[in-house]
Amino acid sequence: MIDARILLSLAIVALAQTTVLGWMVIDRVRLLATGREITLPVVPVDPRDLFRGEYARLAYDVGSVPLWLLEGPRPRANAPFYVVLKKMPDGSWQAVKMTSELPQEPASPDRIALKARSSYAWPQDGPRETTVRVRYGIESYFVPEGQGRKLEALARERKLATLIAVDGKGNAAIKGILVDGVLQYEEPLF
Amino acid sequence: MSWYRHRIERDLARWQTAGWVSEAGASAIRADLVSRRSPFGVAPIFAMLGAILFGCAVMSFVAAHWTGMSKLARLALLLAGLWGCYAAAFGLFRRQLNAFAHAAVLGGIAVFGASIMLIAQMYHMEGNPPDAVLTWALGALLATVLVRSPAALAATFVLAVVWSSYERTLAGAAHWEFLPLWGATMVAAAWLGWRPGLHLAAISLVIWLVPLGFFLLDHHAHWIVAAIGAFAALGAAVAAPAIDRRIAGSAALFAYAVIVAFAGLYLLAFVDEGLFYRAPDAPWTPQLALLAILTLALLLAAMLWALMSGNRGALWLAYGGFALEVLSLYVKTFGTLLDTSLFFLLAALVVSALAWAAYRLHRRAPPVEVNA
Repeated sequence: MIDARILLSLAIVALAQTTVLGWMVIDRVRLLATGREITLPVVPVDPRDLFRGEYARLAYDVGSVPLWLLEGPRPRANAPFYVVLKKMPDGSWQAVKMTSELPQEPASPDRIALKARSSYAWPQDGPRETTVRVRYGIESYFVPEGQGRKLEALARERKLATLIAVDGKGNAAIKGILVDGVLQYEEPLF
Repeated sequence: MSWYRHRIERDLARWQTAGWVSEAGASAIRADLVSRRSPFGVAPIFAMLGAILFGCAVMSFVAAHWTGMSKLARLALLLAGLWGCYAAAFGLFRRQLNAFAHAAVLGGIAVFGASIMLIAQMYHMEGNPPDAVLTWALGALLATVLVRSPAALAATFVLAVVWSSYERTLAGAAHWEFLPLWGATMVAAAWLGWRPGLHLAAISLVIWLVPLGFFLLDHHAHWIVAAIGAFAALGAAVAAPAIDRRIAGSAALFAYAVIVAFAGLYLLAFVDEGLFYRAPDAPWTPQLALLAILTLALLLAAMLWALMSGNRGALWLAYGGFALEVLSLYVKTFGTLLDTSLFFLLAALVVSALAWAAYRLHRRAPPVEVNA
């Protein structure tokens, strides 16, 4: 009797935790497989120090957004908000709007909304050019042991860019890394 | 608990010599002590540490060597570890090795957390890192409730505190979402009837409460923290009989409340503006003097109540707080010896008067009647 109760309890715990882990993977795979693809160039902040340990810190031009693009109330620090990117004639993406709620963008190949967070307090006021540092959840790229230096050397000499998948809710995921416009590191789904 | 056994052993010998306790009575007391030995002896604690360390070792080995594996194979490996831990727990429960079974449950929780991190790494997920810790904490809470595992309960409290501190650091604002999770875990602790769990509940609430003043109103609102602690201490003292009828915890509650009240006052007086800050000409501001008087009054009141109610823990905490306060005052006002000495003279007079009052109180109390 006791055995049956404990067996059931342990099985429920294991099953619930497995479900959580499975959901993490499935949610991510769905995003990678069905999300819209955009390419963002990586800004080498300090090329010599780009790769630390086994993961790379990636910075983007769209990672700092002018404060005056914010429409509506200021989000709380570390609360999610949305940044709308617009495709420029030269093929690059530029931030054009920030909002607290998911913007209802008309389906357009030239506009896309990304979910973002900022861990710094929002400036109350400031000159027009005040910018906000935002994270889209695509700033870390884990590399296999030993590959870091190779990528580091590449980042110093060539142009790096990330291939990003974005779903309808603005969630973004790294799909691969492009070197000089050629896909070098592609993420398998499984 | 062995210090208690040593002590009672010494006392038993003395009482037997005095003829108060018979040979049979002494044996019965010893047998009772053995039967009530805490289930958390040395072996199970080492088993739990071993489970956690073993989990860490496996995870880092896997993480370092799995570059050649497909993601699916890695997932299978993680899930095998997870289910393996819970299967081991079941086998140990069946053999009545409950403490070791709880160690295996703890191992399962460790593997669950490691899996969250490793999957996030596999898919380059970043999101909001505290959310991952919250997920981990909820997994531990589920194990606490379903398996009735004290070890999982301890893990839940630790993870809840880590989650809340992380979120608070990132957001720079008070994190009220901690309270529902803390409340749920506290209910689980009461339901398990595991006393150390209630201490963990109190400690995690104290850790959350003490820095709260940095995130309220003008970000220097430590007086709110001090007031919460003072009211809780007062409540624990006044309602002691009512509390003790239910969980016999008013003494511990009083001690924790005194910590919170003292911490709030101490932050206000010394930490928030810097321990070594002083205006060159006037280090003794009226505010500092008022805070010092309030703090010493609080600690003296706590000592008196602790003496009267036989609360040794609170007494030692108040002594420690008193020493810290006096030392900090000395460091802060260093350089104005005249003012400082005046303050200490006044404090010495007050404390001496209190000592005399306590002595009179003690003298007047009737000695306990002993039936010879």
